Amino acid sequence: MSETVLKPTNISLGKRMSQWIGWAFFWDLAGGLSLTLSYMFSKPVTEQYPDKEKWVPFPRYRGHHFLTTNEDGDTNCVACELCAKICPCDCIEVVPYEDLKGNRRPKVFNIDMGRCLYCGLCEDACPADAIKLGPHYEYSTENLEALMVGRDTLMGMPRKTKTDGGVFEAELSTTGAVQVKVAENKPGYDWWQRIRRH
Amino acid sequence: MTELIPLAVLIAKVIVVIGVLLILPIPLTWLERKIAGHMQQRMGPMRVGWHGLLQPLADGIKLLTKEDHIPDEADRFMFKLAPIITLVATFALFVAIPIGGSFFLFDQEITLYLADMNVALLYVLAVSGIHVFAVILGGWASNSKYAVLGSLRTCAQMISYEIPMGFAVVGVVMLAHSMSLVSIVEAQGAVWNVVYQPLGFLVFFIAGLAEAQRIPFDLPEAEGDLGAGYHTEYSGMRFSLFMISEYLIVVFMAALTVILFFGGWNDPNVPLPPTLWFAVKIGFFIWVFMWFRFTFPRYRYDQLMSIGWKVLLPLSLANILVSGLIMS
Repeated sequence: MSETVLKPTNISLGKRMSQWIGWAFFWDLAGGLSLTLSYMFSKPVTEQYPDKEKWVPFPRYRGHHFLTTNEDGDTNCVACELCAKICPCDCIEVVPYEDLKGNRRPKVFNIDMGRCLYCGLCEDACPADAIKLGPHYEYSTENLEALMVGRDTLMGMPRKTKTDGGVFEAELSTTGAVQVKVAENKPGYDWWQRIRRH
Repeated sequence: MTELIPLAVLIAKVIVVIGVLLILPIPLTWLERKIAGHMQQRMGPMRVGWHGLLQPLADGIKLLTKEDHIPDEADRFMFKLAPIITLVATFALFVAIPIGGSFFLFDQEITLYLADMNVALLYVLAVSGIHVFAVILGGWASNSKYAVLGSLRTCAQMISYEIPMGFAVVGVVMLAHSMSLVSIVEAQGAVWNVVYQPLGFLVFFIAGLAEAQRIPFDLPEAEGDLGAGYHTEYSGMRFSLFMISEYLIVVFMAALTVILFFGGWNDPNVPLPPTLWFAVKIGFFIWVFMWFRFTFPRYRYDQLMSIGWKVLLPLSLANILVSGLIMS
């Protein structure tokens, strides 16, 4: 814009005149003002987490691990330790034992969530489809020890989501753990679709 | 006894004005943050109270309980004096601002202004100059380079913009044949001055933005390049005194714009109480100030000076010339 103004030969006199008249009446400033005004009366895109809304991830999301269970409520894990082997940051510790039914099961299955990088390789390596990465992501703690998660906790962690992700109505609950609970049977929306583009 | 009644009324009015002025920055900070948020497609404060309405109170408690720090090498007396001067000067401005005509209560005429001076316009322009003095004192006493730079900029900016501002209102004085703000408003009963003085209004409003140190002329406190300008070293209550006076100057500028160019409390056809109508107009102009703030970037320092001296000053002089020619 400014280059064309500096070279008056490129631009006709009439056009230059109208440009000057426009500047004299703050036409360029009016453009900016009308833009901010239209934004002021448009809907905010703020995702009101944690007060009113929460982002629920897609099924492919890699969050807090969980151990799948069979009909008896027992873990599917056969304690083969392949996940511990493939783990790039060495954060899984498995100690096998033989339970009363004669199955090989993990006596200890610890994951150090502070070290985990959520690559999902353990999920790929698992021959029994026992370890998976779920949708849970709100587990900040005040000490590192609490990030060392054991077998029983892992078995109780939230499973993969059935539906696609989106922003859902939710409310903050501080009883027990501080968590944002998603309201049931309310339609979510895609946050990205609400962003205004030009 | 009867001669004491006007005095009692006056004292009551002073108390009301001071109370309102002290409370006014509370909703204004909330409003400013809300408008900022919505113009950027955010929501602004939402957590404290309904839609963040109590946020300014929380901020006030924070400012009151904060450590009131005075830098080691500061001039302690001047450092403490500066925020007081700025607040006193700002409060003194509102002595001359009328918010309505007069009404009768128990056979007693109650005027909705503290003083109807015959030189009120001159008075407000002069007293708004004192504010500059406080800013320079504050910057100088802090003994900090950013504060001094900020107050030097303020000094130059205020002096440059007070001249076109003073010239811009000459047209209004010519139309009203008076410098009393009450008579100026009464002279606009039929047609608002902005119709006769569009150029005067434009120059006055732009110079007013600079006087109130608002974007796009907020160089004295340019956060990006000066820390916070003249109040860099201030904290706690003293800082909030500066903030209060800043918001009050915005209110004052909006009020003066309405009084001089938009007919004060005169309403053409709208059945509203005059004072309410006046407040609505002031509110609109405060909103315009905030709207400008969140739309425009800051001018460069040399641009600021050239706008003041090369554009606004000739325009305001031409305005006087043309209106003088037409009126004679």
